[in-house]
Amino acid sequence: MKLSLIRPALIILVLAVWVGSGCSRKPASKARYKIGFANLTEDITFCADVRTSIERSAEKAGNIELVKANNRLDGATALANADTFINQGVDLAIEFQTDEKFGPAIMEKFKAHNIPVIAIDIPHPDAIYFGADNYKAGFIGGEAAGKYAIEHWNGRVDKVLSLELPQSGPIPAMRMRGQLDGIRKHVEVPEKDILHLDSKNTLEAARRVVGDVLNTMPNAHHILVVTINDGTALGAIAALEISGRREDAAVFSQNADTSARQEIRKPGSILIGSVAYFPDRYGDYLIPLALDILDGKPYEKKNYVKHVLITRENVDEYYPRR
Amino acid sequence: MSMSRFLSKHAPTLLLTAVYAALVIYLSLAAEYFCTPNNLMTIGQSVAVIGIIAATQTIVIISGGLDLSVGSVVALTVVMVSLLEGKGVPIFWASLGSLTVAGFVGIINGNAVTRLRINAFIATLATLSIASGLAFVLSSGRTNLIASSGFRALGIGRIAGLPMPVFIFAGVFAAVHILLSSMKYGRAIYAVGGNYEACRLSGVDVGAVRRKAYLLSSLSAGLAGLILAAQLGAAAPQSARGYELQVIAAVILGGTSLTGGAGNVLGTLLGVLTLGTLRNGLDLMHVDFYWQEVVMGVALGLAVAADRLRQLRRPKGT
Repeated sequence: MKLSLIRPALIILVLAVWVGSGCSRKPASKARYKIGFANLTEDITFCADVRTSIERSAEKAGNIELVKANNRLDGATALANADTFINQGVDLAIEFQTDEKFGPAIMEKFKAHNIPVIAIDIPHPDAIYFGADNYKAGFIGGEAAGKYAIEHWNGRVDKVLSLELPQSGPIPAMRMRGQLDGIRKHVEVPEKDILHLDSKNTLEAARRVVGDVLNTMPNAHHILVVTINDGTALGAIAALEISGRREDAAVFSQNADTSARQEIRKPGSILIGSVAYFPDRYGDYLIPLALDILDGKPYEKKNYVKHVLITRENVDEYYPRR
Repeated sequence: MSMSRFLSKHAPTLLLTAVYAALVIYLSLAAEYFCTPNNLMTIGQSVAVIGIIAATQTIVIISGGLDLSVGSVVALTVVMVSLLEGKGVPIFWASLGSLTVAGFVGIINGNAVTRLRINAFIATLATLSIASGLAFVLSSGRTNLIASSGFRALGIGRIAGLPMPVFIFAGVFAAVHILLSSMKYGRAIYAVGGNYEACRLSGVDVGAVRRKAYLLSSLSAGLAGLILAAQLGAAAPQSARGYELQVIAAVILGGTSLTGGAGNVLGTLLGVLTLGTLRNGLDLMHVDFYWQEVVMGVALGLAVAADRLRQLRRPKGT
């Protein structure tokens, strides 16, 4: 008689513990969420800023366990990281990988486990988008360069050095196309006067290639330099300094990271402007967006970063000195 | 020494000299701005950093070793000097501190290879990873500017119109040439690389010879890092990535045998100049990015093939 009472009581107790421990996958019923963040790489200041801001916001939220991975600029690694996230039971994945050809395969994995995905900077099929509008950001920088040429050089541009990243596919290419279109909105530059250079995404490669090509244009004294990011802009500036050609050029870059802001603040710097993507604030948008998705609240499917050209005049407004 | 013996002994260097001369003549004709003083100085600036590392890598390779950690040591030095400067340490002490850290990596490499008997490839691959990782940890993955104008003179300053790094580059090559050709330690390097076992049995402290080679290699990578930081005015943890391969390519192209025991620093100088000049010429002629990589790869492939041919022709037992 006693046994027949104990058995149902044990079953109820086990069920209660199981439910209480979070067996349900319904996000709204969970006290805590596990969010996976796969960073594009850890080798670029921009990406380090994105990761730091996500970590900070996740900690601030208080109910998030953040699982991190490094996609190492490689689609295959991103696929493997997606598997790892699934195995770790993440509730949502924030995916930062720029090889769009791997997007469908990554999404297929997450969709099979009903895991929502926020894709940074590169649209993935059925993922919520967050990130830069690369063409627009490029265009803002290009327009500033064109206006600079009109205001300081009477619209004369002898050469445009376009420091690119040809290995990295269409997204960086969109950014560079935006910059050149922005310049051409204000000044006419024939295609023969635009030099497309491989920056290899490093300071020293940018320094070397700019140093080399400067020697082919001894009579160019109005040179606009537009770059894929701030690191390559610093490399270009070093080359101009070494060649004694600082006065011949104006440099416009993308990202407005810490090093660029330091450079812009220097008196007499030839880094005139850098378009901000605010990677250090990505987390402030991404984590609330992730929580809205997980809590079943309404959210936007496409979320764009607001881009601003950072110059000496407004750098303290957007990034106050500490 | 008879003419035929001289030609036979110096065949790789003479051949490379001829190749380099042909390259310079071709580029002078094909690229309008190649043979200008500014461009020649640009080449000097560009090859100085790689050249300084290549000079001492020659010592390591002749001694029968290999140092893959040099690129990461450059990156670590670059990051260290900017961080120390940022914390208010006077730039001289910041530079000295960074060089000390570089030297410490060399000591680890040398001991790992000689005392622990770890394969040089594996040992220096490990320190490559450790030094690179430390550069990222210390900088949090961020690029920092270097403010000291005095320090920047090391990279962009000029003496009698010539860039400062070129003088340092020339000084390091001269020192390594004297060391290898006229000093007892130089002879020990060739002996250890040529026949390790015979040297050991004849009482030479083979471990000490190799440990010194690794120390010199890391110290020169540290010096190259300081010059690179001064040239760029900024310190990025991803600096010098892949330098180890460029350096080894230059050394092998210069006729130093990967199996050790043979080679000279003059050949390395020619190797560094050939690769640097080739890269510069391709830029001046606006050769497509992807083709540039193909051309550089072909140059390295030919160098390795030439090294292999030399080994096959060498009589057995030498």
